[in-house]
Amino acid sequence: MNESFIATARFTYIKDRKWPSAAIDVHHVIVRQSNLKGLLVCLFAFGFSANGLYLFLVLDKSPFALLWSLLLSSSLLKLGIGKSVVKESVLIMPNFGVQLETHYRSGRISRHFVPVSKILKPLLLEHVSPVTCYWVLSLILLKEEELTPVFKELHLPLKMLVPIWKALCGSGSGDNVFSLHSTVEDHEQSV
Amino acid sequence: MAPEKQRILMVSDFFYPNFGGVENHIYYLSQCLLELGHKVVVMTHAYGNRSGVRYMTGGLKVYYVPWRPFVMQNTLPTFYGTLPIIRTILIREQISLVHGHQAFSTLCHEALMHARTMGYKVVFTDHSLYGFSDVGSIHMNKVLQFTLADVTQAICVSHTSKENTVLRSGIPPEKVYMIPNAVDTAMFKPAEERPGGNEIVIVVISRLVYRKGADLLVEVIPEVCRLYPNVRFIVGGDGPKRVRLEEMREKHSLQDRVDMLGAVPHASVRSVLISGHIFLNSSLTEAFCIAILEAASCGLLTVSTRVGGVPEVLPEDMVVLAEPDPADMVLAIKKAISLLPEIDPQVMHERMKKLYDWHDVAKRTEIVYDRALKCPNQPLLGRLSRYLSCGSWAGKLFCLVMIIDFLLLHLLQLWQPEEDIDKVPDFVIPPVEISSAFDQEQDD
Repeated sequence: MNESFIATARFTYIKDRKWPSAAIDVHHVIVRQSNLKGLLVCLFAFGFSANGLYLFLVLDKSPFALLWSLLLSSSLLKLGIGKSVVKESVLIMPNFGVQLETHYRSGRISRHFVPVSKILKPLLLEHVSPVTCYWVLSLILLKEEELTPVFKELHLPLKMLVPIWKALCGSGSGDNVFSLHSTVEDHEQSV
Repeated sequence: MAPEKQRILMVSDFFYPNFGGVENHIYYLSQCLLELGHKVVVMTHAYGNRSGVRYMTGGLKVYYVPWRPFVMQNTLPTFYGTLPIIRTILIREQISLVHGHQAFSTLCHEALMHARTMGYKVVFTDHSLYGFSDVGSIHMNKVLQFTLADVTQAICVSHTSKENTVLRSGIPPEKVYMIPNAVDTAMFKPAEERPGGNEIVIVVISRLVYRKGADLLVEVIPEVCRLYPNVRFIVGGDGPKRVRLEEMREKHSLQDRVDMLGAVPHASVRSVLISGHIFLNSSLTEAFCIAILEAASCGLLTVSTRVGGVPEVLPEDMVVLAEPDPADMVLAIKKAISLLPEIDPQVMHERMKKLYDWHDVAKRTEIVYDRALKCPNQPLLGRLSRYLSCGSWAGKLFCLVMIIDFLLLHLLQLWQPEEDIDKVPDFVIPPVEISSAFDQEQDD
């Protein structure tokens, strides 16, 4: 399996080969945009706004109804599209640190740098919620009680998390869990 | 031909860190099935902060699903709320068979329902006896009828329990197997030396609730203490009836003859048992009663009420049975005291080792799994006809519930196709060779 590029219906994983991995190891996960979701959000927002305008202009209701509708529409647009993630990246600088980036559709980029001295171990864990269960790549950090997820917003398939986990393990940040490593390699080959 | 190795999902609201008969059963059965080469995964609800995936001894994987219990450790029944998580676990762990435990567990009923909708074979183990006439039992029996209408095979822990389950649920008796519980005889061993002296110690370890006959103890203990000045009681356990026992102790000035230990952790039960000569069980209803097995394994002579499946558990020379009546129980204790000189704890322990073994339970359960997997698959319409026979109104309601479940499953398959769910790799935990590790340490 080519570890530089993996594509699924929802995500595309790319290992950036622009720079030598000894200097900087860059992994991107790009969300394949679903037009349907954006369309639905726009339709709902339009519906709320139109309803507010109708109540105000035609039925002579209070302007607060229009205000509430416009507020609701803008919140819906912000949550549905503005907070929508375009890409998440992991930049591994061996023996220096790891930078975690989240790129949003609104253009905002959220960055979080973790120095290598703080990283105790990168872990692949199973997260269980009331409705589902999925793999999460997290970092155990020194003097931090909570785990730090590498990917804040996206729930990626295991085959995309494994090469990033291996890269984190090999970067001087934490020990290798070799029995999990070898078992996961076998799983990878069979996928 | 040796049974094929399976991937089993055990489901119940009752599991570690809770302690009890059902919890023990699931744990020991899972460990023995793992030793036989099967893969076992347990699914239960979260207990406090214990939420997510945990691994226990032998690589036993446990999903503590964050559904909070709402009454008596049971998950809130939502009918369809657990469908997504159950489907995800069944697919990612590549389960071949689902085994639910305990009629009182809502998670078990929902899991079996969803597993049947997805086409899995299901086995159900009933651990309790229920009545027929009170409101609670009527509702419980209807729920059981719904679940067992389409279960592949069922297991009961005693013949009495099998009869009770068949009558309550209407399941054909040929689908029900009887596999008793067992006891960990390696853990429950008699003391090197039996407690000596003139004193006779009677041990009671149970939850102090109505069902366990705590009210009988209030009548029996003072009478026995009056008749036998050399008898002392040790009472372990806690519950709402503890207050009554404390009051009895005060009223009859038995503070130096009745020790109330409070809740006893399971790891400490053996140390309490081996300090006594006789074990007293006063339950008003029991499908099996693992407690008397533990006591017999520790070499204690048992005095018990003749209820439910208790008469099936121990040979006649190891137990003295009595009706759940204070006078009869006092007579039974009198008989037990007279039999004490004949009891050899080590001999009793050796007999228990041969009679009850969790490995034997696992092998018998394996046979049930094998038979369940050989049963033919039925399409939805065939399965719906089984629900219709549950009652004129209830049957139609059950059919509607299953049809909605079927539709929701297909919606879920469109929303999250099976290919999008990662399969979990099997983690091989290398067995620890204790003797060789010790030799290496000595060489070092």
